[in-house]
Amino acid sequence: MKQWLHPGFWLTLLIVLALGLAPVFTRNAGLRETGFTILLAISMAVSLNIIMGYTGYVSFGHVVFYGLGGYTGMYLIDTWGAPLPLAVLGGGATSALLAFGLGKAILRLRGAYFALATIGVNEAVRTFVANFKPFGGPTGIELQFSVYKQYGGAADALWLTYYGVIAISVFAVIFSYYIKTSKFGLGLMSIREDEDAAEVMGVITPDAKTMAFVFSAFLPGMLGVLFFFKNGNVEPADAFRLGFSIESLVMIMLGGQGTLLGPVIGALGYQRLRGLLLTSDAMIGSLPLKDFQLVIAGLLMLVIILFIPAGLVGWLRQKFAFLRRILV
Amino acid sequence: MKRSLFNLFAVLVILSLALAACGAPAVEEAPAAEAPAAAATEAPAAEEAPAAAVEKTAIVGFTASLTGKLNVESTRQNNGFKLWMDQVNAAGGVPLADGTVVKFDSKFYDDESNKDRVQELYTKLVTEDNADFLISPYSSGLADASAVIAEQYGKIMVTTGAASDSTYQKGYTLVYQAYTPASAYLTGSLDLLANADAAAKKIAIVHENDKFSTDVVTALEAYAIEKGYEVVLNEGYDSGTTDFAPIINKIPADVDAIMGGGHFADGQQFAKALSDKGVAAKFISLLVAPPEPTFAEIGDAAFGIVGPSQWEPLAAFAPDYGPTGAEFIEAYKAAFGEEPSYHAAGGYAAGLILQKGIETAGSLDVEAVKAAIDSEDMMTFFGHIKFDTSAENHGLQVGHSMVYVQWQKDASGALVKQVVWPLEGKTAETVYPIK
Repeated sequence: MKQWLHPGFWLTLLIVLALGLAPVFTRNAGLRETGFTILLAISMAVSLNIIMGYTGYVSFGHVVFYGLGGYTGMYLIDTWGAPLPLAVLGGGATSALLAFGLGKAILRLRGAYFALATIGVNEAVRTFVANFKPFGGPTGIELQFSVYKQYGGAADALWLTYYGVIAISVFAVIFSYYIKTSKFGLGLMSIREDEDAAEVMGVITPDAKTMAFVFSAFLPGMLGVLFFFKNGNVEPADAFRLGFSIESLVMIMLGGQGTLLGPVIGALGYQRLRGLLLTSDAMIGSLPLKDFQLVIAGLLMLVIILFIPAGLVGWLRQKFAFLRRILV
Repeated sequence: MKRSLFNLFAVLVILSLALAACGAPAVEEAPAAEAPAAAATEAPAAEEAPAAAVEKTAIVGFTASLTGKLNVESTRQNNGFKLWMDQVNAAGGVPLADGTVVKFDSKFYDDESNKDRVQELYTKLVTEDNADFLISPYSSGLADASAVIAEQYGKIMVTTGAASDSTYQKGYTLVYQAYTPASAYLTGSLDLLANADAAAKKIAIVHENDKFSTDVVTALEAYAIEKGYEVVLNEGYDSGTTDFAPIINKIPADVDAIMGGGHFADGQQFAKALSDKGVAAKFISLLVAPPEPTFAEIGDAAFGIVGPSQWEPLAAFAPDYGPTGAEFIEAYKAAFGEEPSYHAAGGYAAGLILQKGIETAGSLDVEAVKAAIDSEDMMTFFGHIKFDTSAENHGLQVGHSMVYVQWQKDASGALVKQVVWPLEGKTAETVYPIK
């Protein structure tokens, strides 16, 4: 019980809530869209952190859960007329199921082999979906504009998906903290430090790893449904874009893996910076800064990974002893 | 000590970058203001500029794929649109019924060729940049995402580079398509074949397994069956395929025509493989690749290959609105130093569609401009423009048709592109059979 009074938990939760609720109170649609992108990234990073930060298994294929969940949800909405909340849960459940099925098999691999296997899984699922007729094959699934009517029109539907992403990111933070401070979480962290030693100490590692994988897959499954519902269509290339996985990894590295606040700060910093660079009107000489946005983002990553490998939160904890009691 | 200095340096770099990024939005007008001035010298109608009328600026917003896989096509489309804007502004803008004159300015962001931020950026264009009209991103998938925002905020959006029919069957009322829809990409090839040889009956369809190509061949197959053709093979290949031998082996030896393809690289490779394997089809028509000048790099394997194009510099339409093809080509070359592709022509045509709509409506009011675009029926250098106005297919392009080119040999034996269909635009007879 004591762990729920920790200031680090409340700090993280407050950051997410403040970010999420600002557009709600100002009713500013532009802010809402930026908020959606950031909260989506935060939830992706927090969920990936469960398998990567806590358990020490680097997954390059995290986007597979996002894509498959998104497809399942769109299928439920389009073919069965399912309401959005049900579709969201359906998407999460399908991804969790895939993780459960895969977990026992590929989590036997360690290090680079596991990372490569996750890329393979993503490619395999993408190819499968591109040939799977109920999911529309290569043309994907498209929603009629009228689908938004039952939610009060497109404007209200966009707000609804936004409330959804706030709820998921708040849940993600609470859930991630719960795992981190639970006995189960301790087991995961002992696997991260030394898997063989953890086994000797009584952690049933295959089960623990599989459960961590399932938990980390459930959230992206739900997020995918919200994103593709909002966009009105889903295609294999968008759903299983490897770049998105890698971006999530970078966000965690940026903020600090294995911490609660790290992925939140990393995702926020990364997405906000990319967003600002993309839409900036500033000029470098006679060229717009926005033409350089990838160069600048890349340089920034390089600087951080070279000089602050523990990420921002990790670095702060190392440098300032008193922050170790505040930041988790 | 050294370590912490490094760390401090890193933090400073991040902070200064972040500040720079938030900081300086003040200088934005400079490049936009220069461009029309530079174009004024080359625009044909510059001297018509009225002396002193009340001026309004209409902002046209869009995202372009400045980075990522769609960069080349998107940049050309962007250039075409910019040329239109510069020429209209240099010619004095568009006069409205109340005597004011509308000039255009554009506002655009990079969508990085993916969907992640399309809705975010379009919302920003509408709510913060106060865009009056929208142009779609390049490609159907991205255009679909942006259409939700356009429709929600009641903004007219002209799509260019977004060929899939399905976008216009989703119930939008403000989205208009400049391109011939995907369903009509290859059906003209079949008409061409029927015209060249009434006895040809067996068709093999081999296509890339992606949204666009699948949409195209689904419509092609239905049309072929309706016309009494026998589709002896319909086979998809993965994007990025380079070895076509297994698929070619499945094509029956007595096939009359092979149709399909996907995008540039695979289409070119497939044509080469067909030639290398000595496939004896009398007629081959492939998507996207043949109209590109670099298609001829495969040498004699390119001979006889037919391909649909949204627009060809060779095809001379007699426009009743906007510049002639020759004028467009000349202005485009002067501005960007290269031959315009159909992507560039499409970008220009999107501007013409808006311009005509605003002129007819005599105002910038969305309902009035919508009614005007609904009733557009014009011949431009890009071809015929007319939209479906039924509830089921609103905004679908029904006027424009594809131009079909074929690689032929000139007197000296060099490969040249000729327009062979439609008959009214042809520059040479169809070579048939090619084998």
